[in-house]
Amino acid sequence: MASAKRNKTYRSPEASAFYTAGLILLGIVVIAFIISLFWTPFAPDATDASSKLLAPCLRHPFGTDNFGRDVLSRVMSASKYTIFISIAGVAIALILGTAAGIPAGYYGGLADRGIMLLNNSIMCFPGILLALVAVAVFGASVTNVIWALGLVFAPTFARVCRVGTMEIKELDYITHARVMGVRPGRIMTLHIFPNLIPQLLPATVIGLANMTLFESGMSYLGLGVQPPDASFGKMLADAQAYIRVAPWLIIFPALMLVFYILGLYFISEGLRVSLSKGGK
Amino acid sequence: MPRHIHIVKVHHLTLSFPTRKDPNPKPVLDDVDFGIRDGEILGLIGNSGSGKTMTSLAIAGLLPESARITSGSIKFAGNDLLEMAPKERRAMLGRDIGMIFQEPSTALDPLMTCGKQLDEVLTAHKDKAGTPEERHKAIVEMLGTVGFTNAEEICGRYPHQLSGGQRQRVLIAGAALLKPRLLICDEPTSSLDTVTTVSILALLKDLCHKLHMTILFISHDLSAVRGFCDRVMVMKDGKIIDRDTASDILTNPRNSYTAELLTNSRLDTRILGLEPATVDYSRSPVLTAKDITAGYGRSLFERVKNKKQTDTNVLHNVSLEVFPNEILGLIGGSGSGKTTLIRSLLGLLPHSGTVNIKSSSIGAIFQDPVSCLNPAHTIRWHMSEALKASGRQLSSEPGSRAERRSRELARITAVLEECGLGAGYLSRRPNELSGGQRQRVAIAMCLIQEPALIIADEPFSSLDASSSAELLKLMTDINRERHTAFLLITHNIHIVRQIAPRLIVLHNGEICEEGPTREVLGNPKSESTARLLEAERSLHGL
Repeated sequence: MASAKRNKTYRSPEASAFYTAGLILLGIVVIAFIISLFWTPFAPDATDASSKLLAPCLRHPFGTDNFGRDVLSRVMSASKYTIFISIAGVAIALILGTAAGIPAGYYGGLADRGIMLLNNSIMCFPGILLALVAVAVFGASVTNVIWALGLVFAPTFARVCRVGTMEIKELDYITHARVMGVRPGRIMTLHIFPNLIPQLLPATVIGLANMTLFESGMSYLGLGVQPPDASFGKMLADAQAYIRVAPWLIIFPALMLVFYILGLYFISEGLRVSLSKGGK
Repeated sequence: MPRHIHIVKVHHLTLSFPTRKDPNPKPVLDDVDFGIRDGEILGLIGNSGSGKTMTSLAIAGLLPESARITSGSIKFAGNDLLEMAPKERRAMLGRDIGMIFQEPSTALDPLMTCGKQLDEVLTAHKDKAGTPEERHKAIVEMLGTVGFTNAEEICGRYPHQLSGGQRQRVLIAGAALLKPRLLICDEPTSSLDTVTTVSILALLKDLCHKLHMTILFISHDLSAVRGFCDRVMVMKDGKIIDRDTASDILTNPRNSYTAELLTNSRLDTRILGLEPATVDYSRSPVLTAKDITAGYGRSLFERVKNKKQTDTNVLHNVSLEVFPNEILGLIGGSGSGKTTLIRSLLGLLPHSGTVNIKSSSIGAIFQDPVSCLNPAHTIRWHMSEALKASGRQLSSEPGSRAERRSRELARITAVLEECGLGAGYLSRRPNELSGGQRQRVAIAMCLIQEPALIIADEPFSSLDASSSAELLKLMTDINRERHTAFLLITHNIHIVRQIAPRLIVLHNGEICEEGPTREVLGNPKSESTARLLEAERSLHGL
């Protein structure tokens, strides 16, 4: 009893280090995002012809771009799209993935084959290409990007759920629930799903990071967030032409992107370490 | 006095798991000092956490990375193992030191046939390998030595097609293939039933003579070493506290801890004063099963590969009846189809034949206390889920939601208390309970559904003697007070004799004997019943 309680609060130094590093990096981006909701130094899309391509100074700590827009303000407002798209996309992927993966693992047989066939056919296309096609067909908008990325990412979660379910459904407590007469839907949602969370959590955090990478890639190619709204990918694409004269245009959005993704990776690593130790 | 040559000499070994926070923790092994004589079978007995497994891992060189040996030495045939290079030690594993583990279900790769896995053992040690034909011959021969009459067939089978006892035999064959001088057996029989245990022990003893092996036998169960080990050492808290010849320790333990272990290893049901309910056989049965035939399907691939083999049925035309108030015992060796039968009765397995259940619900408790409860939920959730599933939901009853909830809680608490668990357990999760307590929760979950029959599939096999006794008492109390019938599947004849008035013996998927327990056990007519009784006698000396 006592040892079980102690284990719960015990966190290995390795996991703690990952959590600390991850939360600091992620914190920078999240704080920028929260502040941007109320206040940015300048309006993110306000142009100022008199102050084009200014190097970082006191008035513009991150400098200005070729239209004279304040890079700090743009970086802050871009974090909004990054965070929103990654979370919404992963939520869609998670819902679709669990809804397909758990029944596939639970029922097996034909249902499993059908669902996994669909799953694998999505997985065998390069994800970014599929998302690009979807956005090209349905039009470039934030909503479409979210749906496209959600669909592309769903198979990963479906796989995690399917394998986890196949393991769990053989255990006595699921057999017991079946003997008690619990209906399959309830077994899947209330008996199996909570036990999948330890496996889904790191996958979700990694999903957030990968989703961000995809989103920046699409915005970079001009199929993501549309101008004049700022997004990291779009900012990088625009800054490319000025890389020699105004490197700050690239450095600051890129740094924010790195902080966000690295922060998420660290947290998922921390989760992996602490869950794998606690799971035993 | 004959001079004994020690094949292994452990000299004042102290081992601990230092961490950054605690560089000098309490040692796991504290000044352990013993020798294993060439050709003997040495038993190492102790409760979990006593350090017996660590001792064996230290000898095999398989200690976890975080372990530190602070003092002492281990000599194997004169060579100091702790001074050796890792590569040399690895080469010794298998060749000079073999090991068999507790869980035969996980020690074999599920994707490899048994023959292939045994072949891996040989090819890993190139000096003992040979041409594929030679290797195959050696493998078949060894499988024959460990008691398989159909060795060629076993070679082509996957682990899941074998029973626990058969898998353990394959593992023993794998360990013995390289003819190691020392075989470490870490609880090799604790997940096996009595008949298989007895045969595995006999096999190990036989191998020990044939191949001139020395065996270090680790167990928590003192009675398992009866008639098997030459000498026994008892460990507690990392120290060896008692050592003697096996016969002396079992008949006349000098150490109080050894004596305690000895009493704990025996479940004496006679002192419990169990009184099951009286049964009226003229009433209509609660469960009638007729001509049940069931088996496990083969995959398409297997069917194409092996067209000839068509009969994969495990059960053949089994019929049985359970009467109200009755505790019906069902015994049988491993692979006799006990589990297949109850899975068919519970409707978990497709089968031919009919199963009629009088009551609406039928409860079940299973063997493994670790997985019998959902780790994600509290005990209260488990209970209310059982209540909801039974359809006796209180939502149709009058009163506000809060009233219904408090009524539900009262019912849950009452049932839990009946099972010897107070209200304090409501908010606990399964990992905070012991194995015995979890089995009680499983029974409480059945009871709240008010079934006329509870099927119990070897509920005692992973519990220690005192928890088993408590569970047994609970079951008979329920039987007497609630008039719940039980179908008790067990390999413990001792228990059946005490509480089950009627008994069914299953063998090779058929009922080979059926009748009042006293008659069946007193005058066994079939060979398999006699074998079960014999195994029980030789293992527990009863």
